[in-house]
Amino acid sequence: MPATIHNDVLIYKGSNLFRQRLLLSTLSGRAIKIEEIRSSHDDPGLKEYEVNLIRLLDKITNGSRVELSETGTSMYYQPGILIGGQVSHSCCTQRGIGAPPQGGGEIVFKCPVRRHLRPLQWATWGLVKRIRGVVYALRVSPTMANRVVEAAKGVMLKFLPDVYINTDQCRGPNAGKSPGFGISLIAETNEKTFYCAEAKSAEAGTGEISLPEDLGRECAMKLLDEIHRAGTVDSAFQWILALWMALGQKDVSECVVGPLSDYTIKFLQHLKEFFGVMFKLEVLRTEDDDDSSDDEEKVITAQKIKMTCVGIGYVNISKRTH
Amino acid sequence: MADEAVFDKKKAHRAKLSGRKAEKKKKKNQVDQSNLSARQRNPKAFAIQSAVRAERQFRRREDVIAKKQHIPQVDKTPLDPPPIVVAIVGPPRVGKTTLINNLIKSFIKTNVTSTNGPITIVTSKKRRITLIECNNDINSMIDIAKCADLVLLLCDASFGFEMEIFEFLNICQVHGMPKIMGVLTHLDMIKNAKKLKMTKKTLKHRFWTEVYSGAKLFYLSGIIHGEYLRNEIKNLSRFISVMKFRPLSWRMTHAYMLADRLEDITNQENIRKDPKTSRDVVLYGYVRGVPLMKDSVVHIAGVGDMKISDLSYLPDPCPLPSSEKKRHLMERERQIYAPFSGVGGIVYDKDAVYIELKGSHSHKVEDEETNEKKALLKNVVETKETLDEQMQETGFKLFSGGAVIYPDMLKNDEYLQHSANNERTESSDESNSEAESDSDNDSGIDQSEKDSDAKLPWTNNSESEEENDDMDTEDKFTKNKSKTDADHSSSSDDDEEDFNIKWKEKLTEKATMAYFERQRTTKNIMKLVYNEFEIGNKTKEQEESGGESDAEEIGGIFKKVTITQKKKHKEKEQLDLDECSFFYSLDKPKLRDWLNEANKQLIINSFVTGKRSADEDAAELLKLDDASDGDDEMYGDFEDLETGEKHASDQKTDENKEEVGSKRKPESTKSEILNKKLRLKAKFDAEYDNPDDHRIKGDHSYYENLKAEALKQSELNKSVFESLDEGLRIEVEGFRPGLYVRMLFKNMPSEFVTNFDSSYPLLIGALNMAEQNIGFVSCKVKKHRWYKKILKTNDPLIISLGWRRFQTLPIYSKIEDDLKCRYLKYTPQHVTCNMHFYGPITPQNTGFLALQTVNNNSNEIKKLGFRVAATGSVNEINKSTQIMKKLKLVGTPLKIYKKTAFIKDMFTSTLEVAKFEGARVKTVSGIRGQIKKALNKPEGAFRATFEDKILMSDIVFCRTWFKVDVTRFYAPVVNLLLPIGNKNAWEGMKTKGQLKRERNIIHDANLDSMYTDIVRQPKVFKPLVIPKELQKGLPYKLKPKAKTTTLTKNRKPTILTNRIAVVKSPHEQNVSNVMKMLKTNFEKKMEVQKGMTSERIKKHKKQQEAEEWQKIKRQKELKKKICRHLSKMSNKKQKQM
Repeated sequence: MPATIHNDVLIYKGSNLFRQRLLLSTLSGRAIKIEEIRSSHDDPGLKEYEVNLIRLLDKITNGSRVELSETGTSMYYQPGILIGGQVSHSCCTQRGIGAPPQGGGEIVFKCPVRRHLRPLQWATWGLVKRIRGVVYALRVSPTMANRVVEAAKGVMLKFLPDVYINTDQCRGPNAGKSPGFGISLIAETNEKTFYCAEAKSAEAGTGEISLPEDLGRECAMKLLDEIHRAGTVDSAFQWILALWMALGQKDVSECVVGPLSDYTIKFLQHLKEFFGVMFKLEVLRTEDDDDSSDDEEKVITAQKIKMTCVGIGYVNISKRTH
Repeated sequence: MADEAVFDKKKAHRAKLSGRKAEKKKKKNQVDQSNLSARQRNPKAFAIQSAVRAERQFRRREDVIAKKQHIPQVDKTPLDPPPIVVAIVGPPRVGKTTLINNLIKSFIKTNVTSTNGPITIVTSKKRRITLIECNNDINSMIDIAKCADLVLLLCDASFGFEMEIFEFLNICQVHGMPKIMGVLTHLDMIKNAKKLKMTKKTLKHRFWTEVYSGAKLFYLSGIIHGEYLRNEIKNLSRFISVMKFRPLSWRMTHAYMLADRLEDITNQENIRKDPKTSRDVVLYGYVRGVPLMKDSVVHIAGVGDMKISDLSYLPDPCPLPSSEKKRHLMERERQIYAPFSGVGGIVYDKDAVYIELKGSHSHKVEDEETNEKKALLKNVVETKETLDEQMQETGFKLFSGGAVIYPDMLKNDEYLQHSANNERTESSDESNSEAESDSDNDSGIDQSEKDSDAKLPWTNNSESEEENDDMDTEDKFTKNKSKTDADHSSSSDDDEEDFNIKWKEKLTEKATMAYFERQRTTKNIMKLVYNEFEIGNKTKEQEESGGESDAEEIGGIFKKVTITQKKKHKEKEQLDLDECSFFYSLDKPKLRDWLNEANKQLIINSFVTGKRSADEDAAELLKLDDASDGDDEMYGDFEDLETGEKHASDQKTDENKEEVGSKRKPESTKSEILNKKLRLKAKFDAEYDNPDDHRIKGDHSYYENLKAEALKQSELNKSVFESLDEGLRIEVEGFRPGLYVRMLFKNMPSEFVTNFDSSYPLLIGALNMAEQNIGFVSCKVKKHRWYKKILKTNDPLIISLGWRRFQTLPIYSKIEDDLKCRYLKYTPQHVTCNMHFYGPITPQNTGFLALQTVNNNSNEIKKLGFRVAATGSVNEINKSTQIMKKLKLVGTPLKIYKKTAFIKDMFTSTLEVAKFEGARVKTVSGIRGQIKKALNKPEGAFRATFEDKILMSDIVFCRTWFKVDVTRFYAPVVNLLLPIGNKNAWEGMKTKGQLKRERNIIHDANLDSMYTDIVRQPKVFKPLVIPKELQKGLPYKLKPKAKTTTLTKNRKPTILTNRIAVVKSPHEQNVSNVMKMLKTNFEKKMEVQKGMTSERIKKHKKQQEAEEWQKIKRQKELKKKICRHLSKMSNKKQKQM
């Protein structure tokens, strides 16, 4: 849904893509208004985790203004200036960052401070040379972890001998509050591109049962899917790549990625609205297209898309100079 | 003799003809010595003798090299650069206009009657310049300094440099130094040759200290018939046309435009009704700096921030000559374009259009006239087309008097035509199916795509079915499939025939299918991403067009309803979905089973264990290498390189062919060949032409890499979008510098048009992200050393920062060691201080300058002397400030207990005291204490404890900080809105002092602030009394002695001992001896005299006493005699009786 612009305020509808919109609004300094948030639902208005996100934004900025309507179905956000520094924030358990709902974990995120981003040219990703992974089992039997490893490894070894998956069992207070297990796999190529996939068990109490073997296999399949899509970044990071390209200096950035995810497409549209950046997207022909007629069996690799854009010359205005 | 001669004769040298030395010599002579360097001829002489010296030499050389290095910057000049802005600056009556006229005449050989505003002329095959004169107004000087590439700084040599010149140089330094060339005029006024020489020299050196030493200074030696000497102007113009420029950081991050044409396209009726109504104004000019984005906010200097309502590019009014092979510019290509001056092409007056025909001689060649007509025609035609594509709601007036043409009207017309065509050529079924299949489109493209075919830049090309191969793998992308496309292609082909004849022309028959395909696939993915967006922005048009088609097609109604419903339904579905950044949504996806053998084949080659492509496989490469080596060993390297090249060049030429047609082909291949040659030569040179090979060299690879990177980036910037069609290119890249654009601004103040004066530069600067917002800016600032006054906090100050000029109320502060900003009332004299103000957010390190007034009142200028009050740069931007003012609260003791005291007068209420509980206090004598609690009785008094007993005479301080807020005042200098002739008299907020002076308000001085003599009473101390108990314990030395009580006796010797002995020089001694003798003599004499006097007095007294005695004796005897006589007489009487 494209935005309508009224008085230089971008007006959106619906709770979908809430994160993207707030993020871009904060970066661009443009005010947004989101209307009709779950207006027709039984439980209208913003969810707790969305309000939590707004709180986080309020912490990391100075001078932000947020207005919520009484029912919570519409909000107005006037972003302030990002100030940096150390922030600690307790996330909402309704929708955490990869953690099950009871919470109890801690994530330390560090980010270097830069004045501007350099243009990026990235067109090769090489071949997968090793696969690494971690299986975690919290408050469950440690055999679960081993079963997951076995399943995942079983799939991956059919493609590559260099597979190593760690297990990480925690007990007692270290294990947090939520029982469960999960796996994350990383494939590294010889050009330093990483593809990752993750899967986690069903939440306790939902009634579903997830078998460790199924989980390991599922994650391995997801990773293979990523490898099949290929590109210089995996599908979950396409949008970040697009953001960095768009915010770079006023030079041309060029990157090749696999097929665009829905989320990236939406993000590109938002980039156009917030920053006025339009990407040149072209479907890349692989070199062996000409040969493809000779050997039919190797044709169908996933579509590669070359993204090209001119950065807007975004400057980190909150860094103090002397 | 002969014998001697025989003896003297030495044996002649016999060169060795064989052996080791002979061999060596032979070898040496074989090499041609003439071409060798000294080092090669005699390597031993250059061998390292001393390691230390060699090290020093090396270090010095490295230092010299490192000093020359600059951070490599990406060169952003486009292929067709915009004209270079040459500004002519100087004080009034110095010869600016004459110089412009002369330069124009020298460049294009025509006389221009009046010069006004920017004048663009073509000077050479690859260069255009825009001449602009700067009038005598500091506002103009600032704006000119922000946009000029080259400044000709004129100076009256007979007078010397004036303040304006120094001011201008200062402005330049702050906003990025353009190239500056000094020009001295009025040299003929100095008659004396020697004086002339001296003047030139002094002025030159003064100029060098200001700009840089060695800066070019031109001398225009005099005027003949109102013109400067021809050869001097020629020289100057030559310098201008070969000048090179360095990129300036502000202009390399911001797009800007120097408007050279202005039109008011407001409805005349509205103006008639209300002359003050806000206007719609169109400004024209070349984009400069970096590409200008379509919907960016701009700042018009002297007006304020504006949003561009519409932006489109026009054909260049003053184009560079087409690149034919010739050495000089043809006469007819020496073009001039200056709408404000009324030269070149068309003059737009209020109610008429004038076309200048370049004098009578231009009619001689018929070509020229037709050319011009063609250009004009082209202008109109192309303008329309671009407007079609780009304008949405703006009106456009071909002629200022004519009716306004709205793009909607145009489009509707087109639509009508289009639909009519459809009816004629296609059956209604077909069109139905087309619309239907469109609606299936995943990206939400609905019926109006038909229209958008004509509008959207990327749908201009015809489509073919082949693209689907690519899309097959991805189900998501290929819901709009073959049938749609087939229908599409037919319909859009029709479209093309109808509207896009131009396109047909462009697509030569030689264009290959592969190219089409690529273009098309590109466009499809772009359509997928951006089409929805475009439609969203064109909702209005859709509705309109939809309405019309409703009226025409009844069948369409049903469709439309269903379509809109479908769309709405879909939107609704998507509206509140859970956000997920992964490829598949949160619920478990159906993944492909990669263990399946068929699927496995798809990815098996993505692993290092799989089969590699031919150019990467080591075995293959080795084989190739062997093969080529087998062919001819010697040139193996070259062969490889060349074959690689050939391949690339073939591709490139193909592309070129497609985009430009056959015309350019030879040139590109030629450049290719040239490139190849250069590369080969470089390689050869690298191998052989390096005599210093064996010497130790520094490692400059880091710098070289940076440089190479910057170069690569600039090449990429130039080349990457070349193959795109213009519309799409502008969407992606923005309006690149060098394009002539038309900007529409809505709701401009009417004064801008009514008070327009073309002698003021019209600078339009684009603002980057977040720069249109306003916040608190913190910067470092230094008062200019030539400015006579110091600056006071909260006095209004006019700041020129970024593109803007604005007035604001700054607060000065000093950053303390604990990083606290301490409030300062005045700027310090010779050091930088901090300054906070409320104003536009601008990136850090941007320079600014401050003025106290921009008024051109000559009295004020004379009083000020130099108008630039301060300069500085931005440090930090925030939405709040933290400036603290030092505050000292003073109180006096009310009552003192041992170490506790009640203090009054510090606060006025209990509440205030409560706020300060626990705060540190201190007496003047340095006794520290703490505030404890408020007292009930005198309001504001409190209890405090101290480390010692304080006195009633002590004063108690509480040192604290007070937060000062920055006033939210920001007023852009809107000098362009002022009436003509008054534009330099902008006056914003006045200082309190100014107001008082104007209104003659005099306040009585505050008595407390008056200085009075300090009268100090001498403090009388009581004698020190040591208690007896204590005395007992003291050592004898310290015990008070009995003598000490008789102070007076004791004091004398101390006084004597304190006296300094006077030692006299012999002369002084003599003198004093004599004086002493004289004195003794005199004293003796006086003594004697005194003795004699006393003796004399004694004698005299004795004598007087004796005399007295005699006198008394005589009187006694007389008395006796009388008495006796009397008694005798009485006795006689008695006897008688």
